[in-house]
Amino acid sequence: MFDNYKNKFVPLIIPIILIFFWYLITNGLGLFSSYILPGPLDVLNSARVVIENGKLLTNTVDTLFKVFAGLICASVVAIPCGILLGWYKTLEDLCTFVISVLRPIPPVAWIPFSILWFGIGTFPAVFIIFMGCVFPILVYTIDGVKRTDKVLVESAQTLGANDWNVLKRVVVPSAVPYIVSGLKVGIGIALMCTISAEMIGSSSGLGYMILTATNLFDTGTTVVGMLVIGLIGLAFDFVFTKAQDRIFW
Amino acid sequence: MSIEVKNINKSFEGKKSDKLSVLENINVHIDDGQLVCLLGPSGCGKTTLLRLIAGLDNPTSGEIVANGEVVEKPSGDRAVIFQQYSLFPWLTVLQNVTFGLEMTNKGNKAENIAAAERYLTSVGLIDFKDSYPHELSGGMKQRVAIIRSLLNHSPILLMDEPFSALDMQNRHKLQEQLIGVWKRFENTIVFVTHDVDEAVYLADKIVIMDKNPGRIVEIIEVDIERPRKRESEDFIKLQESIVDKLDMEE
Repeated sequence: MFDNYKNKFVPLIIPIILIFFWYLITNGLGLFSSYILPGPLDVLNSARVVIENGKLLTNTVDTLFKVFAGLICASVVAIPCGILLGWYKTLEDLCTFVISVLRPIPPVAWIPFSILWFGIGTFPAVFIIFMGCVFPILVYTIDGVKRTDKVLVESAQTLGANDWNVLKRVVVPSAVPYIVSGLKVGIGIALMCTISAEMIGSSSGLGYMILTATNLFDTGTTVVGMLVIGLIGLAFDFVFTKAQDRIFW
Repeated sequence: MSIEVKNINKSFEGKKSDKLSVLENINVHIDDGQLVCLLGPSGCGKTTLLRLIAGLDNPTSGEIVANGEVVEKPSGDRAVIFQQYSLFPWLTVLQNVTFGLEMTNKGNKAENIAAAERYLTSVGLIDFKDSYPHELSGGMKQRVAIIRSLLNHSPILLMDEPFSALDMQNRHKLQEQLIGVWKRFENTIVFVTHDVDEAVYLADKIVIMDKNPGRIVEIIEVDIERPRKRESEDFIKLQESIVDKLDMEE
């Protein structure tokens, strides 16, 4: 029973120490003025303001909407393409060069074009997220398909499965764990892309909130935005870890 | 269904384009309903021959005729039970067992499930029908794999050392169960093994093979009465003579 408490308490030790020191050098001793490094009390105060005026909620919802929209678009393209590319060697040979060149381009490098093509707002951000997520999901899916155990494919064939059924009933389920890993990587990238995109070509979202607050020397709100992004990442990680636990093969 | 293996040669491309000959001039006739063991040391090409019969690989020359048709690709008529465990890990035991019936659209769903449950009951696995493969022992997995093929009414069962990973007790039990289902369903069985005892216990006909290149040394008809007793004189005598033959080749 005590072990259980201990396990829950251990990960909290360092955060508590950090917050204490943070408090000490800012609000406590006043070594930094609050617009250089806001203290915990300033952050709590800013948090209260943005929660009360609803800005935090609307901006968070806005950011999450973009993240999901981008991720869904990327999945819809990358998962079926990945399955085909992983399964048909010729198709992969045809595409491999293009993928290898496009993949290392950082998603934020697409920002100029995204603004030229889609203007300011939600669409350019979704496009950036799409560009950021599509390659990791694609590569993980291809990998998962290729790692399908040959024995399982051959078993299905000798049980009378045709090519379509082998793909649908053996290859795809066997690639699911890899696809989920790809989505997990993708969502992390999506979150990063969203914030970058919002800082440049957007008028809403957490990235926009952070940037405008900083311009107004309201650094407390900046920290609130940063922490919310961290917490969203934590939540996604938790959900995906749970999902991966359920996939036992 | 009878199987005719005619003048089979199989070679793989090696390094520097010299060919590695795995099987040379293989001729075997297997009667309908016969249980034939391919016996030999590792590297003699017995698994390769089984894969050719299954249609999973193609011969370099020669042909294999199963039930009057030349084998070109895998079919539900020739089920393979692999040495490695080959159950679909994301399906339950019951879903695994009915997989073949779904693929070939045989019967309706309720009938198939009822048949699957009957088969699972007969090998004592009914309590595990909703379990996943990773929850089963090695012997259980192979029994499920065998049932999966039997339920599909594959007239030919091709078995690649299916019991080699099991302990002796389990192996003997599964051999006995295999003879049971074979008598009941009258399948044609080709069984690959390197275990002389296993071959003598199971086979109507033993195809003794040797390596470098893979070839047939001798084909022995086994007429020891069933059920075979391992301690009987005939059994031990045949076993010894086969061991001698295998040693001579070394």
